[in-house]
Amino acid sequence: MSDPRTPAVELGKLHVSWADAPGIRGFFTTVDHKRIAARYIVTVVLLLFLAGMLALDMRLQLARPDMERMTPQLYNESFSLHGSTMLFLVSVPVMEAMGIWLVPLMLGQRALAFPRLAAFSYWLYLGGVLMLWVPHAFGITPDLGWFEYPPLSGPAYSPGHRADIWAQMITFTEVAALAASVNIAATVLKMRPPGMTLPRIPLFVWAMFLASLMTIFALPAVMMVTSMLIADRLVSTQFFAAAAGGDPVLFQHLFWWFGHPEVYIIFLPAAGFVSMIVETFSRRTLFGHAAVVLSMLAIAALAFGLWVHHMFAVGLPRLGNDFYTAASMAVALPAGVQIFCWIATLATGRPRFDTPLLWVLAFIVTFVIGGLSGIMTASAPLDQQLTDTYFVVAHFHYVLVGGAMFPLFGAFSYWYPKATGRMLSERWGKISFWMVFGGFNLGFFPMHILGLQGMPRRIYTYGEGMGWGPLNLVASIGSAIAVAGGVLFVANAAWSYFRGRAAGPNPWGGSTLEWAAPSPPPQHNFDAMPVVDSLTPLWTQKRELAVMTGLAVDRREVLVTSVVEAAPEYRQKSPPPSTAPLLAAVAVTILFVGSIFTPWALVWGAVPVAIGLTLWFWPQRERSTTGPLRVRNR
Amino acid sequence: MPGNRSSSFLVLCAFALAGCSAESRTAGADLPQTPPTGAQDPRAARYERNAYQVAQGGRYFTWYGCGGCHGSDAAGALNLNGKLWAHGSDLDRVYRFIAEGHGDARYGERIPVEQLWQITAYVRTLPRLKPEKRRRQDVDQVGEAQGDNWTGPVLP
Repeated sequence: MSDPRTPAVELGKLHVSWADAPGIRGFFTTVDHKRIAARYIVTVVLLLFLAGMLALDMRLQLARPDMERMTPQLYNESFSLHGSTMLFLVSVPVMEAMGIWLVPLMLGQRALAFPRLAAFSYWLYLGGVLMLWVPHAFGITPDLGWFEYPPLSGPAYSPGHRADIWAQMITFTEVAALAASVNIAATVLKMRPPGMTLPRIPLFVWAMFLASLMTIFALPAVMMVTSMLIADRLVSTQFFAAAAGGDPVLFQHLFWWFGHPEVYIIFLPAAGFVSMIVETFSRRTLFGHAAVVLSMLAIAALAFGLWVHHMFAVGLPRLGNDFYTAASMAVALPAGVQIFCWIATLATGRPRFDTPLLWVLAFIVTFVIGGLSGIMTASAPLDQQLTDTYFVVAHFHYVLVGGAMFPLFGAFSYWYPKATGRMLSERWGKISFWMVFGGFNLGFFPMHILGLQGMPRRIYTYGEGMGWGPLNLVASIGSAIAVAGGVLFVANAAWSYFRGRAAGPNPWGGSTLEWAAPSPPPQHNFDAMPVVDSLTPLWTQKRELAVMTGLAVDRREVLVTSVVEAAPEYRQKSPPPSTAPLLAAVAVTILFVGSIFTPWALVWGAVPVAIGLTLWFWPQRERSTTGPLRVRNR
Repeated sequence: MPGNRSSSFLVLCAFALAGCSAESRTAGADLPQTPPTGAQDPRAARYERNAYQVAQGGRYFTWYGCGGCHGSDAAGALNLNGKLWAHGSDLDRVYRFIAEGHGDARYGERIPVEQLWQITAYVRTLPRLKPEKRRRQDVDQVGEAQGDNWTGPVLP
């Protein structure tokens, strides 16, 4: 559906100037945020499957006492690979991907602020994926869990390259996430449509913006700490050698300074999904929009003051433990405000229980249970008892799967028609929903009880006399059902891609700008720049969306607006496709991989990186390729 | 170019096997527990080319107090970082000297064969271990019981 107010000639020009090169060349050079995000999501789904199979393998091992189908070493590798993949290669990247895809669409824009940076971000993320999984194919797998504390991961106790691979995989993914976050933050601040003042920003955009800021503050800490670990292992520095004046606890502080905010970097976008879905399916504007925004802000700030609750058992000063217990309790307040706002919206609206809303309801139930077990583990005295037991495993799966994956599946179901132009099958969607939701709770609730009974986490088997057999069997059966449901969910998406019912531009009656674009959106997203007069423009401008004209159609141009009032400021050239992001990512990959073998990789590896970046930023006179001077360049 | 492709595949496989044996980590001995049969005993590769086995040898090296005389700053013949080993550097000779050449310590009777293999592997890699790296590893293990600090049971 194209906007009738844009003349056909101009539309044709728009298509030409925003088109990718055809075929394989377009694949490697594209800077289209939708293609990049789709790539991210396909990769994530693949990894979700692989890591899910690992989980199933581990649950099979634990289903009965005294099983010997896995050795302790294989079990260690399995949970390390599962955890590292899920945290670093699935949860954070998939949220960034949703932001890369949705933020420009929700802002009525044609591109992100830095299109090439988004392409670079994906290639580097792919480097991180390969960094972890290619060595795994050769039998070199990190085996110390998803956080690898020194001295266990130090040079004396982790010979070989297993720990290096883990540490460098983090560097890859964190540079990728930083690239994506800077991009999203700049886009939200400077590229909102005219009229979208701060109070009119949709909640998902708020959530992505805050999560991006958190990423920018939190991720450098973990990159630094894993680089220090590599330095300890490679060039024998003594950052974490207590006997030489170093401090192993410093690793834990810096890791959790990132690690705790990371939970909210994953959760905030999920809260954004929930807000959008609740609003659309309750068919009313969200209750307490300002309160939800402020709670997100409060969560984003408080998240940086809680990291010590991951370290209660380390033996820090009592006062420290007390303070962080209190701070952890405090975060329950804004989280509670959000949940009550969503419930109030549902209670006062006219809810329609389609699959996306079912996922949201499952989220509310599961996340509240996870929050309650969180309050238990966040109190220092109780944590002394619960730490490193299965209770912790139950807790973080409830908050991560319930708090992030369920909203994500809801978001997939909600925006799938927009991305593909086809509806998912509601019937199979509901079946897969009940399998995942039921299987998950059946699988993970018993782990609370197992933890209270004293079953430690990270054990490869247990004796029959412990009496943990029956509950473990239930947990394994539940996990298998949930994994089968997940496979069904993906199968539904694959089937609907070819056979699904055609979706119009706005199948759910959504209120935000992405629903004004055709499904799937063309490469330039919108024929004309929308102008916004409320929080829910598609509900208030019923007849026709107001638009702004004046952007060039014969070259890539986007609108830059002011930070607070979103008043148009100037037109900005948007960079065309390029191989530079891929080349730069390859150069960075060479540097990163080389630097686990020799420190000189940092020196010589910098040369190709410099060349790649120079090519990237090589100045180009716009009109020499698109205007009348184009002839000269042929 | 099918030949080219298959040869690069072979290189990849060789890399995979090499990676496997250098990084693999097994708990417990699965080779015959006897001293080396000679300088070319094929079991040597299993220990000397494997990062984990060498590292275990390093730990036992400190546990049994070897570092007391053979520390990284030891002088003369006691210093194992150099190439000039008085009693030879072949596998079987190093093993035999550790086991039988230390007089009253009688390491051959007090240390299990598996651990002697690992210690031998560690000692034989010492000339290639950079001094700062050896110091760094020692610093991490300083808290472990070694030699005189050992408070557990001791075989007579």
